[in-house]
Parts: sequence; C-alpha cells; structure tokens
Amino acid sequence: MMSRCQVFLRSSIGKKLLMALTGLFLIGFLVAHLAGNLTLFVDADGGAMAVYAQKLADLGPLLWIAEVGLFVLFVVHLGLGMRAAMENREARPARYKDTAPKGGRSPASVTMIATGVVILLFLIVHLIDFRLVDGLFAHPEPATLAKVVVERLSSPLGAAIYFFGMVALGVHLWHAFQSALQTLGLRHPAYDKSIKCVGAVLAVGVAGLFAAFPVLCLIYKGDWPWS
Amino acid sequence: MSAGHDDHGSGGLDLTLHIWRQESSEAQGRFETYPLHDVSPDMSFLEMLDVLNEQLVREGREPVEFDHDCREGICGSCGVMINGQAHGPDRETATCQLHMRRFKSGETIFIEPFRARAFPVLRDLVVDRSAFDRIMSKGGFVSVNTGAARDANSILIPKENADLAMDAAACIGCGACVAACPNAAAMLFVGAKISHLGLLPQGRPERSRRVLAMVAQMDAEGFGNCGNIYECEAACPKAISVENIARLNRDYLIASATERPPTASGGGA
Repeated sequence: MMSRCQVFLRSSIGKKLLMALTGLFLIGFLVAHLAGNLTLFVDADGGAMAVYAQKLADLGPLLWIAEVGLFVLFVVHLGLGMRAAMENREARPARYKDTAPKGGRSPASVTMIATGVVILLFLIVHLIDFRLVDGLFAHPEPATLAKVVVERLSSPLGAAIYFFGMVALGVHLWHAFQSALQTLGLRHPAYDKSIKCVGAVLAVGVAGLFAAFPVLCLIYKGDWPWS
Repeated sequence: MSAGHDDHGSGGLDLTLHIWRQESSEAQGRFETYPLHDVSPDMSFLEMLDVLNEQLVREGREPVEFDHDCREGICGSCGVMINGQAHGPDRETATCQLHMRRFKSGETIFIEPFRARAFPVLRDLVVDRSAFDRIMSKGGFVSVNTGAARDANSILIPKENADLAMDAAACIGCGACVAACPNAAAMLFVGAKISHLGLLPQGRPERSRRVLAMVAQMDAEGFGNCGNIYECEAACPKAISVENIARLNRDYLIASATERPPTASGGGA
C-alpha cells in the first residue's frame, strides 16, 4: 500500500507540482545569484566582489548546506523534466505527419526541454569555470574571484558561451513562471495578466542582466568606465 | 463565401486528399491519395467525405471509416486531424461544422486520426476513445437520488459558479485536447469534468474522491503530462478554458492532503 504522499508524488499532477515548486525556488536562487554578481561592476579592482565572496565563505557549514540544497533542487527539477519528456513521448508513439498550431503554444512553451538541456550544459561549463577551480571541496579564493570572472568572460568564446546560455535561460523563464503558477492552481482572470507580466519581467530582467556580464566584460575587460 | 456557387457546376473545388488508411489496430497504416473534383463549398467536411466514400464504393473500393453522429457539433464523435489541426483550421468548430468554403480549389488536405497511445486507431480515422469513458466511470457523475425533480430554487447556486460549471459542461469529450496537445495529455478533459460537477452543490460531496479517482485513471490510461502549452484550449471546439486545468491541479492537491476514507464507525454519537 502506497502512502498518501507516494500516491501524490507518483501522479502526473504531483510530479508537475514538485517541478513547479523546485522551479520557483531555482528562480529565487537566480535572483539572489544575480544580486551578488552585480558587485562585479562596483569597482575595477574587484574589491566589492571579494567582500561579497568572503561573506559567503564565512557562512561555513551554512554555505555547504545551501549548496547541497541547491544541488538537490536542481537534480529533482531536471529529473522530473526528463521523466515527463520521456513519458510524453510514450504517450504519442505514432507522430503526426505535420502539426499546425492553433494559437496555444509559444516558442518558449514547446522548447522547455531543449532550453533546459542547454541550461544544463551551460551549468556544467559554469561550475567547471568558477566553482570547481580549486576542487569540489574548496570554494574559490574570494580575493581573486573578480579577476577570474573577467578573464573568463572577456574571451570571445567565454563571452559567447555565457551570452547564449543566458538567452536559453531567458526563453526557459518566459514560460516557466506562469506555467509554475498554473500548476500550483493559481489562475484567475483577475490576475492572469499580472502573472504573465511578472513572468516576462523576470525572464527578460534576470536573463538580460546576466547576459550583460559577458557583453560588458568583452567590451571593457573589467576596466569599468563608471568606476 | 458560398453565395453564387453552383453545387454541380464549375464553382466546385478540386481537392487532393491524403487520408490515413489503416485496416485495424494492429495493421500498419499509410497515407493514400484521392483526388476529388467539383466539391461544393457549401458542404460540410463530413459531407465531403461522404461524397468521397460514395465514389470509392462505386469504384468497388473500401470507403474511408470515420466517426460521426449528430453532425451538429454536440456529440463529440467526429474529430480528425485536418492539415495538422484537430477539427481543422477554424476555432470553436467541430469537424462536422467545418465547411468546404474554408478551403481553396487546388488545395491538398491531409486527414489523420487523433493520435495518442490512449486513443488507439481502430480503423482509418476512427480511434478508440473509451479511455475517456473509463475516466468518467471513476467519478464523472453525481450519486444522488434522481427521484422527483426538485424545485429549481431549493438549492441556491451562486451565478458565477453556475456559469463556470455550464462553461465546463460544454465539453463534448471529443478528444481534440488530447490530439492537439504536444504531450497527448488529457488534463483539459478531466479539468472540465471535475469543474462541471465540483462547482455545483450536487457534485460537492464527492469532489475530493472524484478528483483523486479520475486523475488516477487518467494516469493509468497512459496520457501524457500537462506542460501548460495551452494548445488544448485553442483546439477545443467548445473553447473550454485552461482555467479548468488550474482548478484540477488545485483540487487534486487539496484532495490529496485532506481526503479521508469513510470509516465504519463514523457518524453520530
């Protein structure tokens, strides 16, 4: 006999709900990550980012717990997405010769798996670049972090990887936010438009600001004209 | 528009039809091509298929099997994919209500059955949609004494609930939502049914049990997972809103958390 929780989490709606919740937490992480990153632009010598990175490092065990939590969130989100994609393929074994949309889909909504895979590949590169430089069990040196970031992002290849990674993130987020709320059952004509609007601002704002890092690093190489 | 067209004259359409032919569920299907000349633009899509079938029978060939019944858009029998669109290009229109004036002479039309693992093809364009019936049998009903009709106002129903329930009750169970969904999910159908019953006082007592049982059956039938792509709503001949899917998600979550099985000792002192 399966427990009530097991029945829920094995149902299509339960899995989707878990995916929506993990996705919303990941959006929360993105916003915090972005806020931290913006310290890069405060000064040309990377002092502000060093202070920020040091503060994170000073969290000690709390940082480890946060990292493990983030990893679990990501794995659950990714795992459920992959599983849903496989089940959905099985749900239509014979394909149509051709399908013509009747107006429901958006480029973002039908490419969630594709953009998700691009984000996964990007994340692997990103972790190798900045998180695993001193190995899995050591965090990168706060004092030189800004220099490492600018170095990586000011090469044309690095800038391209980070820029297009963020384009994929933006497209993913465009559908993600309103889709997550729909899965949570939060839909009402009174706030449908607001939800879509917040989702769009999140997608363009978060991905756009992240994408500004490679662009500005490529142009100014860390020597910010405003600092 | 149809005005001025002569049904038997030169105003007819010349069409090339590519129709999915499949002898049985097990057989391998394929497209076959049928030229059809002088089709009246005033015909419905199904009448056009009737004309084709008469022609095929005259030639001693097997007619194309397709489902149909009321031919007035309310029975839900007649869905096919027309050029990759469930029920064809018009919104809020079942295949039987689609007219040939929507097509141009010289056009090529691909006609396919609705495709989903849960809707196996029986023959040609006919699919087995009894998966929907099995979902309904798990809770798509109200267990009340259906004796004498009650006074219409003896149970008060808020106007907005009555409206929402009526909108959901417009679902004819044609399966276009499944056919149009990139994931072959049945969430719009189930969402419509739980909304139609659960929003009304008569359906409330079984609201939790209903949603749990119907979703379990929906999953067991092998439909896909909803990706909130909303192609279902766009393809629905009755314009059932995806708001019903949000209500389904909500009801399922609440029912999972709060439903308790009936106990033998329950009730009274």
